[in-house]
Amino acid sequence: MSVTNESSDNLAEAATGRHTRAMRRLPVALFAGLGLVLAGCAGDAELDTLKPAGPEAEAIDNLVDPLFIISFVVFFLIMGLSAGVALKNRVKGDYEEGDWPEQIHGNNKLEIGWTILPAIVMAAVGVFTLLVLFDLNDTEANAYAVAVDGETVEWEPHVVVVGHQWWWEYRYYFDGFDVDAFLEEGHANPAKHLPPADIVTSGQMVVPAGQEIELSITSRDVIHSHWIPALNGKRDAVPGRIGPWKLEADEPGYYFGQCTEYCGLSHARMRMQTIAMTDADFATWVQQQTTPATLADEDAAFIAALRAGEDVSPANSIQQGLVHIRQLCSGCHLVEGVNAFADADPDSVDNIYKEENVEISLLSGAAPNLTHFASRSTFAGGLFNLYNADGSLNRNKLESWLRDPAALKANNAEARMGMPNLALTEDQIDDIVAALASFGERPSASIIAETFAE
Amino acid sequence: MAIIENPLELESGDVVRVAERPLGVLTRPSGNTGWQSWLFTVDHKRIGIMYGAFAMFFFLIGGLEALAIRLQLAVPNGKILSPETYNQVFTMHGVTMIFLVIMPLAAAFANYLLPLQLGARDVAFPRMNALSLWVFLAGGIFLCSSLFIGGWFENVPNGGWFNYAPNSGTLFSPTKGIDFYAIGLQILGIASLVSAINLIVTTLNMRAEGMSLMRMPVLSWMLLVVQFLLLFALPVITVALFLLMFDRLWGANFFNVEMGADPLLWQHLFWIFGHPEVYILILPSFGIISEVIPVFSRKPIFGYSFMVGSGIAIGFLGWGVWAHHMFVSGIGPISVAAFSVSTMMIAVPTGVKILNWVATMWGGRIQLTTAMLFAVGVVSMFTIGGLSGVTHAASAADTQQTDTYYIVAHFHYVIFGGALLGIFSGFYFWWPKMFGYKLNETWGKWNFWLQIVGFNLTFGPMHILGLQGMSRRIDSYDPGYGFELWNMVSSIGSFVIFAGVFIFLINVFVSKRQAEHLPPVGPDPWDARSLEWMTASPTPEHNFDTEIVIDSLDHFWHQKYGYDDDGNVVRIAYAEDVAHDGSATNVHLPSPSYWPIVLASGFPFVGYGLIYNYWLCAIGGFLIVGAIFGWVFEHPDDPDAAHGHHDDHGDDDGHDGHEVDEGTTENAEADLVTADSATDAGEASDG
Amino acid sequence: MAEAVLDHADAHDAHDAHEGHVHKTNTGMSNNKLAMWVFLGSECLLFGGLISTYLLYRHNIQDGPGPSEEFFDIPFTSASSFVLLMSSLTMVLAHSAAERGDQKRLKIWLLSTALLGSVFVSGQIYEFTVFVREGLGWSTSPFSSAFYALTGFHGVHVTIGIIMLLSTFISTLRGRMHPGNAETVEIVGLYWHFVDIVWVFIFTVIYLAA
Repeated sequence: MSVTNESSDNLAEAATGRHTRAMRRLPVALFAGLGLVLAGCAGDAELDTLKPAGPEAEAIDNLVDPLFIISFVVFFLIMGLSAGVALKNRVKGDYEEGDWPEQIHGNNKLEIGWTILPAIVMAAVGVFTLLVLFDLNDTEANAYAVAVDGETVEWEPHVVVVGHQWWWEYRYYFDGFDVDAFLEEGHANPAKHLPPADIVTSGQMVVPAGQEIELSITSRDVIHSHWIPALNGKRDAVPGRIGPWKLEADEPGYYFGQCTEYCGLSHARMRMQTIAMTDADFATWVQQQTTPATLADEDAAFIAALRAGEDVSPANSIQQGLVHIRQLCSGCHLVEGVNAFADADPDSVDNIYKEENVEISLLSGAAPNLTHFASRSTFAGGLFNLYNADGSLNRNKLESWLRDPAALKANNAEARMGMPNLALTEDQIDDIVAALASFGERPSASIIAETFAE
Repeated sequence: MAIIENPLELESGDVVRVAERPLGVLTRPSGNTGWQSWLFTVDHKRIGIMYGAFAMFFFLIGGLEALAIRLQLAVPNGKILSPETYNQVFTMHGVTMIFLVIMPLAAAFANYLLPLQLGARDVAFPRMNALSLWVFLAGGIFLCSSLFIGGWFENVPNGGWFNYAPNSGTLFSPTKGIDFYAIGLQILGIASLVSAINLIVTTLNMRAEGMSLMRMPVLSWMLLVVQFLLLFALPVITVALFLLMFDRLWGANFFNVEMGADPLLWQHLFWIFGHPEVYILILPSFGIISEVIPVFSRKPIFGYSFMVGSGIAIGFLGWGVWAHHMFVSGIGPISVAAFSVSTMMIAVPTGVKILNWVATMWGGRIQLTTAMLFAVGVVSMFTIGGLSGVTHAASAADTQQTDTYYIVAHFHYVIFGGALLGIFSGFYFWWPKMFGYKLNETWGKWNFWLQIVGFNLTFGPMHILGLQGMSRRIDSYDPGYGFELWNMVSSIGSFVIFAGVFIFLINVFVSKRQAEHLPPVGPDPWDARSLEWMTASPTPEHNFDTEIVIDSLDHFWHQKYGYDDDGNVVRIAYAEDVAHDGSATNVHLPSPSYWPIVLASGFPFVGYGLIYNYWLCAIGGFLIVGAIFGWVFEHPDDPDAAHGHHDDHGDDDGHDGHEVDEGTTENAEADLVTADSATDAGEASDG
Repeated sequence: MAEAVLDHADAHDAHDAHEGHVHKTNTGMSNNKLAMWVFLGSECLLFGGLISTYLLYRHNIQDGPGPSEEFFDIPFTSASSFVLLMSSLTMVLAHSAAERGDQKRLKIWLLSTALLGSVFVSGQIYEFTVFVREGLGWSTSPFSSAFYALTGFHGVHVTIGIIMLLSTFISTLRGRMHPGNAETVEIVGLYWHFVDIVWVFIFTVIYLAA
């Protein structure tokens, strides 16, 4: 019972007819799909991985764009082939008895061909990947002049990045920080033993534009991942390890980031930004950050007297706020020139820096350094804007944050993850906000404007 | 028990000495009907069906979890789930779908089909097969019980399926959730390990005469590769889970950073298991569509030996790529480079498979049945997953992509678009074999199109979201980052998938009703190629009526068709003439047993005991040890049947079993009565 | 694990029935024996994982004692290792006795293998108590946790082996052992030799490399 030639021809004809109609429709559908995809990518995405703003991100983008093109071509080939073949050879209804095509069991030449061809393509992709990979792991020496305490030092731009549940800390050592020598000290959890830095800030890393910034990334508690998509790929912050990474911004600007390694409850709300500045702006920033909390003269005198143990009483809201900060916040937050961790009442708040309290000190516990709180355009782990669009303090947000932090950013303060609800009175909140707003110079209007995600 | 249980043992004349019963309670169950016939069965087909049924139950749980995730993310600042609940839900979604859905669904096909495709009577160790099933169910129930034990959503695993240290330590995850994860996965690991050993021995030892390795269907090959992957991957995750459990329950220091431990230890152990696990999930599906595509193209599989070889190559290479999950962990540029290259090499055998499927369809006569549609769906959808995989095998590119929704899109294209669609293809293809009726094609096509459209709507946009910088595992996102549109599309898509799956469930019942008015499907409804189609539908308990001697790949097809002088295909026999009608009554089969299910029931007690109260461990230990004791001293066979058997031997004593050829089995002694049970099996399957 | 192994013993009870008839398999190896080989393949990875963990944490001793010649009692552990290796010899003798159908020697050698294994496990327990007294607790350091986990896992394996040996011994008392199912002894022996070989690796990695 063999197939008659006639019937098979008819079948083939019918199939071809369908095939051509389907084939004509196919490209339209594909281009419509592609258009949609591109439209999606073209949206104003603050974290877009395909809009590089520095040489590292550029190198990755240059690698990945051709990869996408190859992938699209291969996909349309395979998709076209399988859909085309399926439609072309389609038999509607049941098979007729004897309707059998030629029984082909294989073709070794073809097999070898389509083993070798992808292997060659992959080898080429591999070569380019490795080139970019080693480029990303290279560092260049780019000594950068910085004025610290009136003296100019040659600084190899380098920032130590420390992940905490759920915020980022950035530490600047203008005298240099020898990671290897530090690791050789053999601390079980190195992030807990970092030496005092020239600048300690949080949520926002400020860097000079056009300079390669080396990063040393670690974590104090669980694994996080530091990622500023416009400037480079990501690198995990692994506790017990210090990972090298780098980034660079071509132009001054405001670059968004997001923790990308699941780190527990508020992983979604662990954000950070990198602000690239002109050399002049960066120099100013360094100058401001290396001086202790900038307070009005009478407030500075008040706090000096208080720290000296003199019996003074607060004369204004800021001074009242300073008293509260010393009493209530010193367990976790440091404001240089205002408090020390020892100021915390050991009975009311566990001092997380007690060495013997190993378990607790492994937790994030340690909270952002607030010395220059007002100089940042975000707070609460890079999450909320500190200033409104008109440049005024985002008082509502800050107040509700102090009122009940967990309501704005999920935390587990009882287990010392996140800021506890201190049950502050409205007066206390007003005073603390007044004091916080006085810590540091406000960021420029352009930075405040760029803080808003569109 | 192997010899008595060994179902290939067809020679008559062997003298079976029935040992004395040590204790009356240790007789084997005799129920061949009703619930007993399922609870105590050692029949690989019933075990396979139950694997599938339980997995579909867990599939609904995992699917509801997925819908909850998509509802939460449909709009910015979603408030449907609290952050804590969201973390629990996405963890359970991953664990459920991987360990309680895809793996057992693959096990369902492996159990049902592997012995049939090899021409075997059953697996090598039928009772251990039942043990695997019940331990799997025990582990699944144990894991899912975390949803409500100690309060609703109080003690649910919340560390992600990857459960990275040190976040999994008691310090950062103080609830019992991670304990449920660590112990639950160990229980499931026991199930998979026992099953892997069993199926490896079955494949290596129990093939019918003439069924050389290179005559095995591609599905059998892929399942064999998967069992080896399981065999070697499971002990590694077992070590990791033990270490985690030691840390959490008894204060060890394996992941305690404060004592100088290295968190990357977990990552290495986890991914040495975790990457082969990906192939454990996908290869069965590759096997399934390698059976479906030839049948509905009316051509043999193109490049059989390359299909087999590429499957083995994937299995081998799968061991050398685990650190591509750790490109940004800080393992050093040299390691990253090496793993980047090895990962790219996997694209080669995978590409060979895809092209061979296309070549099989090339020039074929293609019938777009639902099974075939799903199979073609796998070819194209998996291709997308494979290609996006290549973009992050390029490690530098991966530093932008990893832990974003781009990865979520990638592995859903692999696991949903590859594994799950393949499994659905298998449902439609083997349903008549398993239950004696075809699934309705109209409903089936609705099922397929809804599922494929919904799938692409759900996961296609995630590529864009990932490239736009949306991180994985975030419980909410702010407006203004460009995530709104595609998240909404994705959430709508997830409900379309749900509709597709719902239609599948409807189809099962509708088709069952319709089948009552349709003629029986016969042994070979698709004019198929492999040996399982030689048995009656549904397959009787004893599988084949007589032993089969295999003389080629696609033996069954060659029984039906030959070539004329011009090389055209001509029919030489009808399936009904070659296939078995399931009427054999003289086949010796293993008796059911109480002990697998009793033994399995001990494990959750041990698990709860470790978490809550060691006295529960004692109960679990008692059940386990008692069941082992019962197992060891269990009668080889049902005593009553064995009695009859004994009597019959009076006639057979003169025979030399070795001289009796296979044909005589048909008139040999009524070894064990199975005709009744075979019928029951059919009826029960239908119900 | 135990149930899987005991299943083999059980299988051989059934094997009685067939009076030494060797079942035809594709590999020529019985299902039970093949299953044991396959299982031991899996076990290699289990101990591989544990040994790797130990190697990673070997020098991570925090404030506790470390793996040094002074800390370990090398002569003592060498002696107990020797005892374990000797048990492999007696296991071989048991197997050959089983094949010859020498019931008396089979019983003797099975029992002595179990006995030697017990001596080893007792030595390990004694060693642990000494270490704990000297300040190496389970939670002392990553090294201590890894040390106890690795040697402990091995100890549990030896104990399971002893249970298997004693079960086989009991079935010889019940007259269930005969040349036709010497394979049971062989399978138990496979497991036993594997556990011994693993100890050679562990001994080298922990004690000799100290």
